[in-house]
Amino acid sequence: MAPPTGTEQDGDSFAEEALTHLDAMYGVACKLTRNPTEAEDLVQDAFVKAMRGRHQFHAGTNLKAWLFRILTNTFINKYRRGGLERSVLEGPDADPLADAWVSASTMRQLRDPETQALMPIVEREIQQAFDALPTDFRLAVALCDVEEFSYEEIAQIMGCPIGTVMSRLHRGRKLLQRALYNHALALGIVKGEERIGAPSEGAAETPKTADLAEYRARKRGAA
Amino acid sequence: MLGPYLDGELEAATFIELDEHVGSCDTCREETKLLSAMRGSLKRVLRTSPPGALRERIGNAMRAERVREARSHAETDVLGAGTLPVRLASWRTMAPLATAAAFALLWGALSRSPQAASSGARASFGEDLLAELVAEHSRPLPPDATGPEAVRKLGRYVDVPVRPASFERGGARFVGGRVMPLRSQRAAVLQYIIGTGDDAPRVSVVVYDARKIQIDSASLSPRAVGTAEVRVGREKGYSVAVAQRGGVGYLVTSDLDPDNSAQLAAMVYDDR
Repeated sequence: MAPPTGTEQDGDSFAEEALTHLDAMYGVACKLTRNPTEAEDLVQDAFVKAMRGRHQFHAGTNLKAWLFRILTNTFINKYRRGGLERSVLEGPDADPLADAWVSASTMRQLRDPETQALMPIVEREIQQAFDALPTDFRLAVALCDVEEFSYEEIAQIMGCPIGTVMSRLHRGRKLLQRALYNHALALGIVKGEERIGAPSEGAAETPKTADLAEYRARKRGAA
Repeated sequence: MLGPYLDGELEAATFIELDEHVGSCDTCREETKLLSAMRGSLKRVLRTSPPGALRERIGNAMRAERVREARSHAETDVLGAGTLPVRLASWRTMAPLATAAAFALLWGALSRSPQAASSGARASFGEDLLAELVAEHSRPLPPDATGPEAVRKLGRYVDVPVRPASFERGGARFVGGRVMPLRSQRAAVLQYIIGTGDDAPRVSVVVYDARKIQIDSASLSPRAVGTAEVRVGREKGYSVAVAQRGGVGYLVTSDLDPDNSAQLAAMVYDDR
């Protein structure tokens, strides 16, 4: 067989390399659509778009992040005309209790002392808690905790500033923690306790939005 | 702060500071461990596997996209740089537009009609047949059939049903067709012209019964064009491409370069 022309060859090797990220793309597509059939269509659309735009991709740069950006944009265009839904929990005044947290001993009880992992009975809740997250939080957590992208990459993928990424991650994780805590509470694994509004143990660095602003200011200064 | 700390997103100085603090603060240490446990659970619980068929399906979709892209390039070439309006209509979206010229491409489909099962020895031809077919292109006889009905009737003579179809391409026209005797066999030849003027490129498509006529030639090399297998070569300064499907052969001869002839042959092959 005659050797393929330039276009065929670069298309083939591009497709091959892109498809190594299929599992991850499908995983995140499922988390975005919450529907496996739609996830398949979304992923297929994204890969076809990637093929179409492959000449805009600079070889040697981060293909995975580039693909995920396409996936995210395809999702937004198809399902979320206005962009990822603006969570009611965004903003400094949104739900101050989200940052208030429980005592160290309560937190310890959520974990299995031997494995250091979440107690299985608590872990069972995490799928539901995750699915219930607002989309932008869910995506941020999926990209960071499951796919292990950096903040910079997540900012590119989601098309937002790094500060927003951090905020979405922070709030998403807090919501998850709260859901798990409530679940454990309902099961009687932990005893209810007074919500702590202010740090009570030493210089507890319970993250607050004020700290976030400080952090950003410091980061800007150091940059 | 604990999020970035765990995510490895802190600068060294800040990290060290926080790391020291976490060592001595119960609440922070527990929260760190909880965050870490949560991440482990997320990874475990949320793991998904795509269905087995998805990889193949997407691979095919990507390949189809590449073929589409290659065709639209071919169209651009075929129609000349900028002199003709280029319609990049997809092969499959055949929305007829009254004002656009129609590039009529006929292909045969093997049918069970009695005409298809005719007797006759297989004829295998080589270089000389190819030369003959190309000669037909270089000095074509006037067509006998120009309307769709008449063209359809050509099928009676070539033992392969001929089905007219059309799709939009800017500036290319079906001129007509006729029967072409080939030794003891017959083929249909369809002529097209791209654009106007004496120098306008022409394309001839010879449609024949591939079970009875075999075109073997060392000057044709196999080439994959998208999902089609065609054989491509040059003959007397023209480019030639041969495709075969369902027992029907198509020989595309043109004034264009071999890549374009190959694309055209692949189009015929791919059309379902």
